[in-house]
Amino acid sequence: MREKLWKLWRFFAWSWSPESDRESSEAITRNLWLHWFPAKVTRSAMSWSYSMWLGTAAVSLFFILTVTGVMLMFFYVPSTERAYGSIKDLEFAVSFGRVLRNQHRWAAEGMVAVVYLHMARIFFTGAYRGTRITNWIVGVVLLLATLLLSFTGYLLPWDQLALWAITVGTNIAREGPIIGETIRFVLLGGTVVDQQTLLRFYVLHVFFLPAIVWVLFAYHMWRVRKDGGLASVEVIKADRQMVEKEMPRTKSYSMFGLTPGTSVQVMSSTELEERDLVFSSPNLMRRATLIFLIIFNITLFAALLFNAPLEEAANPAITPNPAKAPWYFVWLQELVASTTVHLGPFTISGGFLGGILLPAVLLGILVIWPLLDGSARSAEGRWFAPARKRQTTVFAAITLVMIVLIIVGVYLRGPYWKIYWPGTPWPQMPTVL
Amino acid sequence: MENDRRQFLRLIGKGSVAAAFVAQIGAAARAFFPNVLYEPPTRFKIKRPEDYPPGYTFDSAHRLYVVKQDDAFHVISAICTHLGCTVQYRTVEFDCPCHGSRFKLDGTVIGGPAPRPLVWFDTAVSPDGFLEVDTAVQVVRGFRFTPPKAKG
Repeated sequence: MREKLWKLWRFFAWSWSPESDRESSEAITRNLWLHWFPAKVTRSAMSWSYSMWLGTAAVSLFFILTVTGVMLMFFYVPSTERAYGSIKDLEFAVSFGRVLRNQHRWAAEGMVAVVYLHMARIFFTGAYRGTRITNWIVGVVLLLATLLLSFTGYLLPWDQLALWAITVGTNIAREGPIIGETIRFVLLGGTVVDQQTLLRFYVLHVFFLPAIVWVLFAYHMWRVRKDGGLASVEVIKADRQMVEKEMPRTKSYSMFGLTPGTSVQVMSSTELEERDLVFSSPNLMRRATLIFLIIFNITLFAALLFNAPLEEAANPAITPNPAKAPWYFVWLQELVASTTVHLGPFTISGGFLGGILLPAVLLGILVIWPLLDGSARSAEGRWFAPARKRQTTVFAAITLVMIVLIIVGVYLRGPYWKIYWPGTPWPQMPTVL
Repeated sequence: MENDRRQFLRLIGKGSVAAAFVAQIGAAARAFFPNVLYEPPTRFKIKRPEDYPPGYTFDSAHRLYVVKQDDAFHVISAICTHLGCTVQYRTVEFDCPCHGSRFKLDGTVIGGPAPRPLVWFDTAVSPDGFLEVDTAVQVVRGFRFTPPKAKG
């Protein structure tokens, strides 16, 4: 009996603990879920300090979000009358409902941070050159999708934060040139924030945006392989070319021996040698699993220790004072609050300048940055390469400005969006008008 | 010649399938533009003129301020012209809690990001003696409405 159970266990788990090189390789290629990984990866790509495994952390968070999100769908009712009550039920009536919601919320906020850090890592290591530009652009879209998922997500509880975020968000859309009003009409499903609006954002949140993220994620992973792995590989390739005089041997096989042209394996094996590589199973699998478990535990502990915010039920008559966006949008709130300009008789609203134009320009610069990067290719795959010093400074400076705006917005803004230094008490405000 | 006809018929065949596909996408997109809106009316009754105290009264159901000065009325929108939060009456001015816009009590902008003054709404009195506001009709700043004295 014990032997049978052991055999059964081996049947399912052998690919996680291969006992020979051959098993290591087959563990990847013969497994439906793992075969999109290469059988072998470079040691440098496995380094903690190079990639910091931020992409793995991001997808771990998204996996947690998908599972907890589907769980939450069993309890949440996307109706303006019942949404808030169903969140309260999750908090007080459903066993462990609060933990579920908390974990979803903290994983979401974590994902915004981790996806941004992932992008920063790519930028600081110059890992977007050559064919990797496609993946960089896909990554920017994924960052945008992450932010939209967060935005649509915190609208669903239909509390004060939700109502005023929708109101402000769709009014920013209205400031768009020519079709702004139309976009707002479609987003709201009418001209006022009501049931149609909630339903639309709900479907976006639980289906469209996650579907886009999962599809793009799959493409993102596929591209990593097509680009020959992480950019840290380029460092090895560059060294090899300098060290070795003779051309490295080119293996002549591809996966089925029939592929026209050269396959990725052939391309990379021209420069990479056995000593640069380790088997994905168990090395890559083990680290990826470790990352997932760490991330899962962090979000779970956060969920047990801290409650997800929930403001009072939505009340169109009264705007909370001050009404603050979540931290990752506060910098935008600071921008829309301070970018209205008056040019003689003309006024350009901050809703357009700070809410649409500036973010669009930032996004546009992000997308085309790899084309603007004229530094030597030897700067690729290294942290803070001296050749990219100025670029590093620009990215760090923009990030710093955003962080400063976030700190100002989160900690210093008081009633009527005025600055109150820490220690200065806020004036007593009437709670009803 | 025969080939031309064949190609033409093929083009018609493939083209009609493609056209049907595009039309269907268009139709699906069109569905997102509602034809019927179940929204509150823009023209509604508020209280009777005599029910308002002098000065500024906030109507929370309609997000507007009813202003009574002597016996004349005017109605100012409480919706900030910047990004739509509800402005608050603070004795000498209106202030917005979202981005710090500031307005004079007649709605003109005195600070913050608001691009336009607060809107004044058309005000009348209904046959049964209630003040009536139409938020679809804007009136110029300085508009005053004096309801006829209620009988009895």
